[in-house]
Amino acid sequence: MISKTINLTLKVWRQNRGEKKGRLETYSAKNISVDMSFLEMLDVVNEELTKNKKETIAFDHDCREGICGMCGAVVNGRPHGHEKETTLCQLHMRHFSDGDIIVIEPWRARAFPLIKDLVVDRSALDNIIQAGGFISVNAGGAPDANALPISKEIAEAAFNAAACIGCGACVAACPNASAMLFVSAKVSQFALLPQGRPEAARRARTMVRMMDQCGFGNCSNETECEAECPKGISISNIARLNREFLKAEFS
Amino acid sequence: MNWFLNMLRTSIGKKLLMALTGLFFSIFLVIHLLGNLTLYGGKDLFLSYVDHLHALGPLIHVAEIGLLTFAAIHVSTGLFLFLQNLQARPIRYTVDKRGGGRTIGSATMPYTGVLIIIFVAIHLSNFHFIDHSRQTVFQAIDATFHMVPYIFFYIAAVIIVAIHVSHGFWSLFQTLGANHPKYMPAIKGIGFIFSLLVAVGFGFIPVYVSFIM
Amino acid sequence: MNPDVKMHTKLDAKVPAGSLAEKWDRHRFNLKLVNPANKKKFEIIVVGTGLAGASAAATFAELGYHVKNFCIQDSPRRAHSIAAQGGINAAKNYSNDGDSVWRLFYDTIKGGDFRAREANVYRLAQLSCNIIDHCVAQGIPFARDYGGFLDNRSFGGAQVSRTFYAKGQTGQQLLLGAYSSLMRQVSTGMVKLFPRREMMDLVVVDGKARGIVVRNLITGELETYTAHAVVLATGGYGNVFNLSTNAMASNVTAAFRAYKKGAYFANPCYTQIHPTCIPVHGTFQSKLTLMSESLRNDGRVWVPKKPRDKRRPGDIPESERDYYLENKYPSFGNLVPRDVASRNAKEQCDLEKGVGETGLAVYLDFADAIKRDGENAIAGKYGNLFQMYEKITGDNPYKTPMMIYPAVHYTMGGLWVDYNLMSTIPGLFVLGEANFSDHGANRLGASALMQGLADGYFVIPYTIGGYLAQTSFSEINVPDSKEFKQGIQNVQQRIDKLLSVNGRRTVTEFHRELGLILWEYCGMSRNEEGLLKAREMVSNLRHEFWKDVYVPGTGKDLNQSLEKAGRVADFLEFGELMILDALARKESCGCHFNTAFQTEENEARRDDQNFCHVACWEYNGDDQVPNFHKESLTFENVELSQRSYK
Ligand SMILES: Cc1cc2nc3c(=O)[nH]c(=O)nc-3n(C[C@H](O)[C@H](O)[C@H](O)COP(=O)(O)OP(=O)(O)OC[C@H]3O[C@@H](n4cnc5c(N)ncnc54)[C@H](O)[C@@H]3O)c2cc1C
Ligand code: HEM
Ligand code: SF4
Ligand code: FES
Repeated sequence: MISKTINLTLKVWRQNRGEKKGRLETYSAKNISVDMSFLEMLDVVNEELTKNKKETIAFDHDCREGICGMCGAVVNGRPHGHEKETTLCQLHMRHFSDGDIIVIEPWRARAFPLIKDLVVDRSALDNIIQAGGFISVNAGGAPDANALPISKEIAEAAFNAAACIGCGACVAACPNASAMLFVSAKVSQFALLPQGRPEAARRARTMVRMMDQCGFGNCSNETECEAECPKGISISNIARLNREFLKAEFS
Repeated sequence: MNWFLNMLRTSIGKKLLMALTGLFFSIFLVIHLLGNLTLYGGKDLFLSYVDHLHALGPLIHVAEIGLLTFAAIHVSTGLFLFLQNLQARPIRYTVDKRGGGRTIGSATMPYTGVLIIIFVAIHLSNFHFIDHSRQTVFQAIDATFHMVPYIFFYIAAVIIVAIHVSHGFWSLFQTLGANHPKYMPAIKGIGFIFSLLVAVGFGFIPVYVSFIM
Repeated sequence: MNPDVKMHTKLDAKVPAGSLAEKWDRHRFNLKLVNPANKKKFEIIVVGTGLAGASAAATFAELGYHVKNFCIQDSPRRAHSIAAQGGINAAKNYSNDGDSVWRLFYDTIKGGDFRAREANVYRLAQLSCNIIDHCVAQGIPFARDYGGFLDNRSFGGAQVSRTFYAKGQTGQQLLLGAYSSLMRQVSTGMVKLFPRREMMDLVVVDGKARGIVVRNLITGELETYTAHAVVLATGGYGNVFNLSTNAMASNVTAAFRAYKKGAYFANPCYTQIHPTCIPVHGTFQSKLTLMSESLRNDGRVWVPKKPRDKRRPGDIPESERDYYLENKYPSFGNLVPRDVASRNAKEQCDLEKGVGETGLAVYLDFADAIKRDGENAIAGKYGNLFQMYEKITGDNPYKTPMMIYPAVHYTMGGLWVDYNLMSTIPGLFVLGEANFSDHGANRLGASALMQGLADGYFVIPYTIGGYLAQTSFSEINVPDSKEFKQGIQNVQQRIDKLLSVNGRRTVTEFHRELGLILWEYCGMSRNEEGLLKAREMVSNLRHEFWKDVYVPGTGKDLNQSLEKAGRVADFLEFGELMILDALARKESCGCHFNTAFQTEENEARRDDQNFCHVACWEYNGDDQVPNFHKESLTFENVELSQRSYK
């Protein structure tokens, strides 16, 4: 199919495993169809590298439809690129122009050590969930699903918080590399629902402590996280987390 | 007490300290501004306000000690948070752009904070730690505000305070957990007006004293 | 049967006796139990953290077993179940529209074109209700009505509303629920998590599955793990087609390695082509995106009546549009099952009525629904899907109709398992999309999530106990075990081989070519001639791969090119097996549509006399034709009929 194509210059962060320092290397991406996604554009560059018997650029990705949270890089200073509420895999090249220079860097945070090139280790986010991001219920013991009516508004608010894909863009975007948006989304989902109330206090306390322990920065209410979050998670969740936490500590 | 210290060690605990002391200073700013507004009523009104204040005697000392402690907490916690936050991102971005969340106020909190503390020191040495037996506060103000560079310095300083509270005000509500879709816009609006009042209210005083009075 | 296929034996599915409704209860009673104090002595490996894997791992740990859980992604939460959109079925009958366990059972059996095992499907329908209860207790924010009760919608192949959903992100919410239970068990220490690991081989000791060899995807190190049972929940193999709605890392490798170790592969040719996906738009494309089937609730499918009509959709008057599904199937309309909807779309495009630049698309139009319910109501139901569509295509579906085309989506085939979900290798259990069990020749919408969770939360936790309680195990000391040593050696050799070919073509090129062959000859419609041709083409391609592929980098590092090479190498072998299976099934059923076997109305014509069975393939050495076995399907409770959705 014939569609418009553009040529770009990429400056991509390359850093081998175990290497102390990385560097930006320059590549040209030629004849990029504007219908491609950003990751497909990287595929094209990697194909070219392979053909020249060079090692490809490592980047994380899986679903390529904006839901698994695996992809992500800072593109020209913006996590997941400049389009609003869009993951990197859903960012399409029609939003770039011929001749653009694109700088691509990994998520940068002490809590996300770099593995290779654009790939970082986000297991800190799993650690936080392990600290309390669940409702303690065993399979088999649940009452009928409709036994507990939950207002549509509450269910929707919980859903909106639960929509977080755990990509870590909030951390990457935060000037302090804080994970508050991520933590608050999970705490909020369960704090809103009656099923989650019995453990709400303990959950807020343990998750916040684990977050601190993992080496994330502190929240200064800069709200960059909300601006860059691909799922539009609201900072009102952070306020709810603060509330839940303080309530838990003072009672 | 243990639980309390334990809580203060967490990130949200430290933020709670910032918010409470910040709230205290915001209230202080309001009172200070209201007091200073008496200047617009002329020298006599102002001096009677000063006399009333001094008549409070020991209470004023309590207030001063309180202010000092809170300042110590706000400043030390603020700087500690600032350093921690720097460490949380050891390698910076080559290209770092904003997504539209950050404001001038939020981006400069530690810097405006440090400038404020310097200003406060100078401010106090000009008007507070002076020999009150040789001149009234009004005379000190009058003398200082007739030095043109000082007018500029003072105006710049209050603008910096305004910038600090332009973020600080709504932020403290967020920290205390008071964010509601219905009320947050109002809080933000009040914060904006508050910082404007601080800038104009305090900032116009030297102009008034030196050019109009 | 092809002349070159040998051996027929009958497979025993160990379906318990008794009436359909009693089987599962009775079976649970008859299963030997593991004494609670003994459970902690057993270790179970679970490969996969999708709905099936995560739910199984969490539930094992709740029961007191020690679990090692593996996945390819950096976090278990990213398994491809996360991408499921539309919903999950359950026979709750909350809508009071006549649903029942029996109806869900019947719809599923019929939807699968009578090629699934009755007892399994009935159990699935029974357990569907427990799943919803458990998920709500986990805090999954399902859609609710204004009364605060759970909302339902309808899905293809059913005339009742039994699908529970969370906007267009049901899979995400269900998986995050299972993931949260899993994380809880990780924090108790009962589950040890191994992310960024790829299973490269199964280790069988004394005829029993006792461990796995995995590659640490960060360091490239080969690692071995032992256990008393191995559970595979590694998802589907749709990526054999290169372009599919599956995630990039979805693979057949784990299942195929098990196949090579003696597990039978069942019905590999049953691959579901989903009717509502965003059409292909270029050769560089890396994947296709599904637009949930739920859209067919409100969207109307049409094409222009005139072939090669290049007018914009808005310029085509009502009288010149063909709402072909509504016209052809008045009672199910746009909600016919997937295979039927897909084939009809292809038929329209073959008649040159397809739309869009490529002519390989049909319209899915929401204009009427928007007129009827308002834009807000439609946005409430499908907002995120519309947004996703707009992101990818740059078109606004509120204004112009969506363009959709079928795409590979789900694989009903998989490793053969008995009623206990155990494969033909003792101690190797297979769950979720990776097994073949419940969907026959075509899966109805919203039933894969149901199956994965039923398997993981409510079936395997009991049936694995039966196996563990009855089996005696030898001690394994890994450094001395010849089986484990051999396992590592084989994997290492293969990796070295991939890296040493040093040819000229990239892995992606081979994958693309394989995909095109299979899509053309083993896709929505098949015929003997094409399949024979494809078999040869795939075989040639495989030989060329091993002669001319180039894989950059080393084995001792994070090397995504190498990972992909290993997966594509398996797809190349597996592709042949698929074709062989399609050749052997000389009938049409569900998704397997052989043009030689169709009714006058171009529907699939089954041959219940000769093909009412599960086709199972046993590995017989490289470059050898695998052995064929069958499990006969007997239907005691439903009458085999020609599927009709008119
Ligand atoms: C886009 C899309 C939408 C869908 N929508 C619906 C729907 O609305 N309703 C419905 O019922 N069904 C739907 N399905 C189908 C359903 O989502 C899947 O069939 C189901 O989620 C599969 O779950 P699973 O646990 O078997 O496998 P997966 O979720 O695919 O998980 C596989 C796991 O195995 C791991 N793994 C794979 N290979 C290896 C290996 N070699 N080594 C180590 N680990 C490995 C992976 O890392 C992953 O953790 C949809 C599918 C897709 C693709
Ligand atoms: C007029 C005096 C001051 C007022 C009214 C004031 C007010 C506030 C308020 C309301 C906040 C917001 C707290 C929150 O986010 O919860 C704040 C934050 C902050 N203040 Fe001040 N402050 C003053 C002086 C200072 C000084 C002297 C410093 C010295 C360094 C300082 C440093 C900071 C810092 C660094 C923060 C940000 C903390 C963070 O969110 O990480 N402030 N201030
Ligand atoms: S809150 Fe948003 S940015 Fe942060 S992890 Fe979740 S989805 Fe990503
Ligand atoms: S690859 Fe899954 S969100 Fe981008």
